[in-house]
Amino acid sequence: MKSPMKLIAFILVFVMAACLFAGCAKDDASSDSAYVQDKGTLVIGITDFAPMDYREDGKWVGFDAEMAEAFAASLGLKAEFVEIEWETKAMELNDKNIDCVWNGMTLTDDVKNAMETSNPYFNNAQVVVVKSDAAAQYQNADSIRDLAFVVEAGSAGAEELDALAIPYKEAATQADALMEVAAGTSEACVIDLLMAYAMIGEGTSYPDLTYTVKLNSEVYGVGFRKGSDLAAKLNEFFAASYEDGTMIAIAEKYGVLDSMIAQ
Amino acid sequence: MVENVIKALQGGFLVSLELFGLTLLGALPLGLVISFGSMSRIKPLAWLTRGFVWIVRGSPLMLQLLVIFYGPGLLFGWNVWGGSDSGRMIAALTAFILNYACYFSEIYRGGIEGIPQGQREAGQVLGMTRPQIFFRVTLLQLVKRILPPISNEVITLVKDTSLARVILVYELMWEGQRFIKSAGIIWPLFFTGVFYLVFTGLLTILFRRLEKRLDYFTV
Amino acid sequence: MALLEVKNLNKTFGKTAVLKNVSFSLPNGRCLAVIGSSGSGKTTLLRCLNFLETPDEGTVYVNGKLLYDAARQKAYSENKVRAMRTHFGLVFQNFNLFRQYTALQNVTLAPLLAAKGDKASKEELEAIREKGRALLKRVGLENKMGNYPHQLSGGQQQRVAIARALALEPAILCFDEPTSALDPELTGEVLKVIRSLRDQETTMIIVTHEIRFARDIADYVIFMDEGVIVEEGPPEQVIDAPSNPRTVRFLERYAET
Repeated sequence: MKSPMKLIAFILVFVMAACLFAGCAKDDASSDSAYVQDKGTLVIGITDFAPMDYREDGKWVGFDAEMAEAFAASLGLKAEFVEIEWETKAMELNDKNIDCVWNGMTLTDDVKNAMETSNPYFNNAQVVVVKSDAAAQYQNADSIRDLAFVVEAGSAGAEELDALAIPYKEAATQADALMEVAAGTSEACVIDLLMAYAMIGEGTSYPDLTYTVKLNSEVYGVGFRKGSDLAAKLNEFFAASYEDGTMIAIAEKYGVLDSMIAQ
Repeated sequence: MVENVIKALQGGFLVSLELFGLTLLGALPLGLVISFGSMSRIKPLAWLTRGFVWIVRGSPLMLQLLVIFYGPGLLFGWNVWGGSDSGRMIAALTAFILNYACYFSEIYRGGIEGIPQGQREAGQVLGMTRPQIFFRVTLLQLVKRILPPISNEVITLVKDTSLARVILVYELMWEGQRFIKSAGIIWPLFFTGVFYLVFTGLLTILFRRLEKRLDYFTV
Repeated sequence: MALLEVKNLNKTFGKTAVLKNVSFSLPNGRCLAVIGSSGSGKTTLLRCLNFLETPDEGTVYVNGKLLYDAARQKAYSENKVRAMRTHFGLVFQNFNLFRQYTALQNVTLAPLLAAKGDKASKEELEAIREKGRALLKRVGLENKMGNYPHQLSGGQQQRVAIARALALEPAILCFDEPTSALDPELTGEVLKVIRSLRDQETTMIIVTHEIRFARDIADYVIFMDEGVIVEEGPPEQVIDAPSNPRTVRFLERYAET
């Protein structure tokens, strides 16, 4: 390339071509179970989110991870875990980079519109996390208004703060938001109650943090491509697994049985 | 929608531009100071400076951003930056200026050491003072020598500004990415790409002009 | 009385003694040639006279006045050293023209800076430029005044370097192997310029390996070996009828090439 203008023109053409190609790649998902049977793997989109999906000795474990393995096995498939950017989960699904999002996903209206979702299996809440020594002042919804908040961008917690018209900064993950509060660069964050169980308080990564106000209550579900028949198959699997006690045993193992919803 | 995206990207672009401009403003002169330190005849000072440069150049800028911004709060419970946008910007600038000054210092050092000793000696035997030799003889030759590597670093800096988002400085890249979210629209990212391309394209042209203006002599 | 008198100059680099008790004197308007193989210390001698190296011991007198005494070297400030240098001019083996300046700018840069420091008038500055043009004309480069060093041949560059050294009117002009970086066909034009300076009775010290040229031009020849002056005298004696075996051996080797 002799001149920078030529180079720029070349790259623009390339980018436009890539856009066109991406636009063409959509097709219908009516035969989604046939599609995964065909390739023999179930690709599960997750983030590092204890106690649902997290790494131990190089292997993905957690309540969701074990259930996902079992579900894939019941279909005769190999489970494959892929870490995704939480913000782009719907896109990853549509582009068929993953086959489902199984990661303690709150069933918000946005999620239900963008995906085919399973029956809810956990009760969760969005909770406000502050430093333990300041917790006494922030026990009700009015007291938290003036805190400097940080939340994961696009999370259920962000939606709750939007609804309350409380301003906040956005972080890339819930773990980043927790680190902001621990470092004192933000005063409070909003995370999932189930995550709070695992990550904050005595004996955890952040012993000096605690949660105070519950902003809502909500439920977790698993997301598939819009129109996929795999959602119904999972509901059957949940019911059977709950019936024979496997699901309860796994929930007990990870200390989350209290939050589980009967199937 | 397009209007919203452009507006958001413009906001992000201004933050990136601020980060870019102020980093250069701080790092270009600081780099010269550091290069003098690393060439110092006082050996402990030279070793200390070179050790510092090694650490800064040898570790990722993202790590430095995280350590500088979160380190004091997490390690000592003493958050020095505050959580405001300006506090975050100052922390980001601190990391960027230190990081780039170290890169520039090595470029300066190579440039200064590459100028033949004879150029300085010729000035000396003609009775010129040290400042006269530096400003009238060495400097322009130095500029000509370091312009290509400096322009590389400057263009890398344009793209590196996107790292500031790890401490929640909402620069261009963050603004482009936020539109993806659950709705799954990706085209704002391509707009972001165009912003970067135009910016680096202009810088490329600018540096090529500067290099051309110094084409009249060889070093 | 001698214009330049050097007494007992010593210089050591690390553990190597490069100059050992070097003494000589040079009358006004005369030309001294210093010959010897590489590593004999002859270039270091010139660099000491121009204070690019600091002699460890010894004294230098110019016009009968003490200019430099190694015993007091700590007392010489940078400005003092600069003042001391003005007595000497130096033409380098590699020319060392300033790369970003034209031939004329190379010649006038230092005098203009000095004059501006003295708040010279416009006319005085113009006089310096006029003198620069005259000097370049004198070395045969009136058509190359606006050329940059990379546009000139080695011989032309060296002639610019000579004009540059002359512009400051040094009492003693030193040449450090002025033709050894040149292609053989280009040495003639440089030697011709040096010869014309000799004809105008410029006081010169020439470090050279051109023995024939040294014999032609020099009033006095010094042969150095391993940092010591082995033999000295008029060229008819040192070059045509050497008495020291080391001189004989050196000249024989030279004759073979």
